[in-house]
Amino acid sequence: MLVAGVDVGSTGTKAALLDENKKVRALALVDTGANVVRAAERAFREALAKAELEEWDVSFTVGTGYGRYRVPFGDLQVTEISCHAKGACFLFPQTHTILDMGGQDTKAIRVSETAEVKDFSMNDKCAAGTGRFLTAAAQVLNLGLDDLASIASESKKPLKISNVCTVFVEQEIMMHLAKGCAVEDVLAGVHSAIAGRSIALLRRVGLEPEITFTGGVARNRAMVTALEERLKVKLNVAPESQHIGAIGAALFAWERAAHGEVGKTRSNSNGPAERDQRRSLT
Amino acid sequence: MASNYQFQNTGRDLQKDLLGHWYKRLEDAPKTGTPVAYLFISGNICELLRCFGFEIVFPEVNALQCGIKKVAGNMILKAEDLGYSSDVCGYVKNDIGLVASGNRGPFGTMPKPDLLVCNYSGCNTYIKWFEALAELYGARFFMLDVPYRRTGETMRPEDLHYVVKQLEQLAQVCAEISGNKFDMDKLREQLEYARQAEELWVKILHSAKNRPSPFDAFFEAVFFMAPIYVLRGTKECVDYYQAAWNEIEERIQHNIGPLSEERFRVVMEGPPPWPNFRNFWELFKRWGVVSVASTYSKVGGIWDFGMRHDPSRPMESLAEYAVNCYTNWDWSLRRSMLERYAKEYSADALVIHSVKSCRAFSVGQADVREHFSKVQGLPTLFVESDLADPRYFSEAQLRNRIDAFFESLEHRRMASRQPVTAAPTKSGSAT
Repeated sequence: MLVAGVDVGSTGTKAALLDENKKVRALALVDTGANVVRAAERAFREALAKAELEEWDVSFTVGTGYGRYRVPFGDLQVTEISCHAKGACFLFPQTHTILDMGGQDTKAIRVSETAEVKDFSMNDKCAAGTGRFLTAAAQVLNLGLDDLASIASESKKPLKISNVCTVFVEQEIMMHLAKGCAVEDVLAGVHSAIAGRSIALLRRVGLEPEITFTGGVARNRAMVTALEERLKVKLNVAPESQHIGAIGAALFAWERAAHGEVGKTRSNSNGPAERDQRRSLT
Repeated sequence: MASNYQFQNTGRDLQKDLLGHWYKRLEDAPKTGTPVAYLFISGNICELLRCFGFEIVFPEVNALQCGIKKVAGNMILKAEDLGYSSDVCGYVKNDIGLVASGNRGPFGTMPKPDLLVCNYSGCNTYIKWFEALAELYGARFFMLDVPYRRTGETMRPEDLHYVVKQLEQLAQVCAEISGNKFDMDKLREQLEYARQAEELWVKILHSAKNRPSPFDAFFEAVFFMAPIYVLRGTKECVDYYQAAWNEIEERIQHNIGPLSEERFRVVMEGPPPWPNFRNFWELFKRWGVVSVASTYSKVGGIWDFGMRHDPSRPMESLAEYAVNCYTNWDWSLRRSMLERYAKEYSADALVIHSVKSCRAFSVGQADVREHFSKVQGLPTLFVESDLADPRYFSEAQLRNRIDAFFESLEHRRMASRQPVTAAPTKSGSAT
């Protein structure tokens, strides 16, 4: 049995394939871009190619993320809140609180002993405190997103970034640079500002350890450090943090498939017959 | 909702007709020489003003009409062109934009006021609103200062006396402007009509305790409640609630609810986002969510907690009503009201729709959320947009929150029913 989860986020689209033992068989990540449907298909196909499998091998697919209703081969749509909770509790079974920081959303989620979402809180109408804040900083400093963490971690004296607006923070950064402040201190300040906002969200749902940090921004070591320093607690961060939503979606798919439900990718295809036909055409 | 029952849509259709006729009378007021007063909804003392022959304009109702008819966005921009900040209440800006548009809205042209009665003082912005209108129209302004109600305080006799004295002053002002004498018998007659309508409205509100609830106590109540706010004290208003009750009674008899299936019963706090009313309702409908009680349907009066106008104590009962409207309660009183609703109406959850441009009512909602989710153990959803400004309505964000919330409630329900295989696992590891 093989199941899939496809997480169509604002920045990246992620896919995960799980087998009958809930073992992750393949992960894929593509840029979402303007064509959401295509992004979902590309991520799905990339994961299938990595696992050397075909779409008819997939029993059930769950779509999640903002584009969950645009996954044409999705059999069920589940919000990323439930999926991140599911994925985080699967990877770190002692998880009680989850912080998911993505491209335009930051979510704090509290889960029960049985991994059900008990409460959640999200940033409202504003991208400050999300990955977008980092993107804005990277743009104004002309740096790559992946460079931010290493530069910020060199800071000896982080600046206080007071702006709460993703757009206006660019002006604030320019002002600090014009004053001669070091880039690493500015960046450390940006990380600290985002951490502060995220912790406020976490407090709304209740800060109960263990805390698992998920989403694209969780790959940023400086952000992990900034959060851990403020929270004074170690965070769970998985190497596949960016794919946790997709893994959670695949776990929901696994539950459906375990109950004998068969999704459209399998039921609509002729399986090996179709494969043979394709081969003969090529 | 099931179709083809005798009184189907009576409440909705009659309400539409009543409001249409009322707006026509307002539009005709300058032609007929009828004096016009402007009032706020909360704790309004419309019966007193009608004694002097005033037609009454409710700028809040105009604002919500502009919202639901999708012209609020333009009205708000007009007010912002005049210098009103983006943070100012959407209702206020809508109304200022309406004035700047020659008072012409989708409901017709509103008459200018002869008298502005600021009958609600629980929101400072509202006072400034009518002060601005007084300046714009050059109309007489009367401030009815209503003492706020706080926890632990009963309705103090001196507060009621204070309001009664102001009402007597207001009666003199009304007599001066209208040229009509105060007629106590007329006031008593109107208060009796008010009382009768209130009895019927309360029966409708309480009917939501049924399973399924025969009506949506938020999304439908906002239509059902209009006559008791704007036409209270008239016979047509009593007739309306009798007809509406007939429809509700029939729905109960036939087990008809607002949706084909009632899956979640919720208490709603906050007003609807009028420019996106239908879309907002759809976001809940798709989860089988039915509101069984709401605070917004009580902003005009909390008759379901026993308040009634009383013809035997005319001025005193008007004062009691003004002091005791929902919006004149502090947060702990409102919180206890929500607790009662959650319990008495067997709610599965509380939904708070917070209004971005209304600080007076949004402040405290985060604490209410915290109280219900952590102390009361009632799942609570907090969403935010605006009651009038369409720019604050982000459907993708709202949908995500609403979906996630009811999805989690559904998963919890499923888990409690199927504890073995379908319960989400916390074991296992990824490679």
